[in-house]
Amino acid sequence: MAENKKVLVIGGGFSGLTAAVETAEAGSEVVLIEKTPFLGGRVTQLNKYFPKLCPPNCGLEINFRRIKNSGDITFHTLAEVEKISGQEGNFDVTVTVKPRFVNDKCTGCNACAEACPVEMPDEFNFGLNMTKAAYITHNQAFPFKYAIDGRSCKGKACAKCVEACKYDAIDLDMKPETITLKVGSIILASGWDPYDVTKLDNLGGGKIKNVITNMQMERIASPNGPTGGKILRPSDGKEAHNIAFVQCAGSRDENHLPYCSFICCMASLKQATYVREQYPESKAEIFYIDIRTPGRYEQFYWKVKDDPGVTLTKGKVARITEEAGTGNLIVEAEDILSGKKVKRTFDMVVLATGMVPSTKDTKIPVEVKYTPDGFVMPATLQKGVYAIGTLKSPVDVAKSVQEATGVAIKSIQSVRR
Amino acid sequence: MAEQIIKPDLNFINDVINAGGESLKKCYQCSTCTVVCNVTPDDKPFPRKEMALAQWGQKDKLFGNPDIWLCHQCSDCTAYCPRGAKPGEVLGAIRKLSIEEFSVPGFLAKMVNNPKFLLVLLAVPALLYILIIASQGFFGSVDIPTEEGKIVYGKFLFSLYYVDTIFTATALFAVFSLFLGVTKYWKAMAAENPNTKTGSLGNAISATIVDILGHNRFRKCEVTKGRATAHMLVFYSFIGLFITTILAFARVIPEYIHHLKISESIDVHQLDWLAYIYKPIGNVSAAALMLGILLMMSNRFKNQEKAGLGSYYDWLFISLVAGVGITGLLAQFLRMANTVAAYPTYVAHLCLVFFLFAYAPFSKMAHMAYRTTAMVYTKHSGRDAE
Repeated sequence: MAENKKVLVIGGGFSGLTAAVETAEAGSEVVLIEKTPFLGGRVTQLNKYFPKLCPPNCGLEINFRRIKNSGDITFHTLAEVEKISGQEGNFDVTVTVKPRFVNDKCTGCNACAEACPVEMPDEFNFGLNMTKAAYITHNQAFPFKYAIDGRSCKGKACAKCVEACKYDAIDLDMKPETITLKVGSIILASGWDPYDVTKLDNLGGGKIKNVITNMQMERIASPNGPTGGKILRPSDGKEAHNIAFVQCAGSRDENHLPYCSFICCMASLKQATYVREQYPESKAEIFYIDIRTPGRYEQFYWKVKDDPGVTLTKGKVARITEEAGTGNLIVEAEDILSGKKVKRTFDMVVLATGMVPSTKDTKIPVEVKYTPDGFVMPATLQKGVYAIGTLKSPVDVAKSVQEATGVAIKSIQSVRR
Repeated sequence: MAEQIIKPDLNFINDVINAGGESLKKCYQCSTCTVVCNVTPDDKPFPRKEMALAQWGQKDKLFGNPDIWLCHQCSDCTAYCPRGAKPGEVLGAIRKLSIEEFSVPGFLAKMVNNPKFLLVLLAVPALLYILIIASQGFFGSVDIPTEEGKIVYGKFLFSLYYVDTIFTATALFAVFSLFLGVTKYWKAMAAENPNTKTGSLGNAISATIVDILGHNRFRKCEVTKGRATAHMLVFYSFIGLFITTILAFARVIPEYIHHLKISESIDVHQLDWLAYIYKPIGNVSAAALMLGILLMMSNRFKNQEKAGLGSYYDWLFISLVAGVGITGLLAQFLRMANTVAAYPTYVAHLCLVFFLFAYAPFSKMAHMAYRTTAMVYTKHSGRDAE
């Protein structure tokens, strides 16, 4: 018999959120822990979902509401698992919670951020802009309370934010806490990270300013992003009317990620529509090895392909250089269908970088084997522990939601056995 | 486009795989290789199309293709290939097969490229010299003549008969065989590329010579940057050693005239001063050769991960050149030290030089003829206009 009836969900992205609310609504108590100060994960960084092109708040808002309305979900942000012991029905879990330095009295008025003198690269926007050490990621963040970045904040020596806060919401004395949980089953949903573009030396990743990643493109196109949704290039803020998309930037490449990251073709096709809608005269060229739009996504591909402003060129880009003085980029590929090596000039280049499972670098302290690329091998997980979403292989949001919904019944079985 | 019927030659695909192109089938035609290649023309670039042709067993299209020799195996393609298909090594294998295809007589190429026949091939010069030495009686009671107790190779094996005649004949054979092979290659290229525009052949040849002397194409390599320097050292040392050989031959001409009784009164030492010119050239060249070949070896080990270590065909050639250099220098030092070990070393040197010359049309040495021909052809046809 399971002694502990609670279900622990590790990771507050779309998979973890879905698993948590589905499990809780079926009648089990859930504890959700998230490493960052906010829930929602990678999806909150998107501008639109494919293929319906609706904004991510569509799905996030309803899930946040379900969490708020459910009495059965407890969540901890800035929390990471330290240790897991025990077996199905009877796990002991140690979690460390880093200080937020902001308490529940926060109203989100922004006075602390205005007062804060410390600037740091905005991680939520992939370093496209600077933010303050007292910050909130965006206007729909959940929980809607500010956080103070412990690595950048100068602490009590500064304390300008404490003075500025009218609500007594800032407490620079907060210390890391360790909490212990007793749970009956565990759902792993710690998601993915974008591949490190600086490893793509021939594509100017991280070196050439106007060569950005697909996730940076989501932030640039997003109304709550660093440019307010205007597609402007980083070097000079010029409108980017002529954009190249470089597929398989690191994926399907044994020197980088030896697997297909599954979402990048759809992401680039989707992002081509951002540009085409925003600037009617704009041009987008997608350089690909194969366009991979599985299942019904094929129809989305047809739709984008039929746009005369979008060119699809078969041939992998293997060199990008910056044009002297203009900030424009020279993209080199072989146009395979015509058999000619081409050099084309663009305002901005988007690298369709792939997915790296978070377990590549951060292992979860449970009994499990990983693939050489860091993906969880589900069959090797100990009983009562389940992995969902991008931990097992690269997947899109829709598939993550399906898996997360399915795992609810498994986790409930584990606590009822 | 007119309809084309493609007949894959399955045996050829296997030949490429067995010749060192075992990664051929990994290629998925993304064309990263053609983009990172600095030596390909932009129109119909290589090596992606060669990978496709090889996967489809298009032997004639590949053998009649100048591009396989425009490739200098920089291995930039291999380093960046996302599939480990190693286009550089596949093209190397195709080049080796094309030498087998074009060289005359073809069976020698098959032997040279097969380690099983190494000893047989070495045995040819070895037996020849054993017979010569035996005929002089040096294995028996006859003492090797010296010059006032000092070792002189010319007294051991009279160079007119046992060096110059043999090697002139060998060199002529090699040049003739290479000429036949290269002619076949030129015809194959003309057959595969019938509509190419042609410029002046003289201009194409002079532009090719300029390219080769400056190693202009080779120096565009990135991943294996050091290779151009190593090759340049070996290349110019060969030129230096060629000059040395010609001058050394010139020096002994009066002696031959005397020996053959063409003129009894000729001063046999009148050209001895040439030694002051060719000995420094020879020694500097030998040093450059050793340095170059050592660099080549170390480059291969250094770039092993990104470019591959190379095949038997590569290493046979490298070892041979190194062997010629080592035995040549040793033969000189041992002669100066006046020790009997000088004689076998000298014979070993002669055997290795024989190997290098006689089998040049079939070994990697042939690259100099085929690559030069391809470069001339591409410049002549306007393909490689740079």
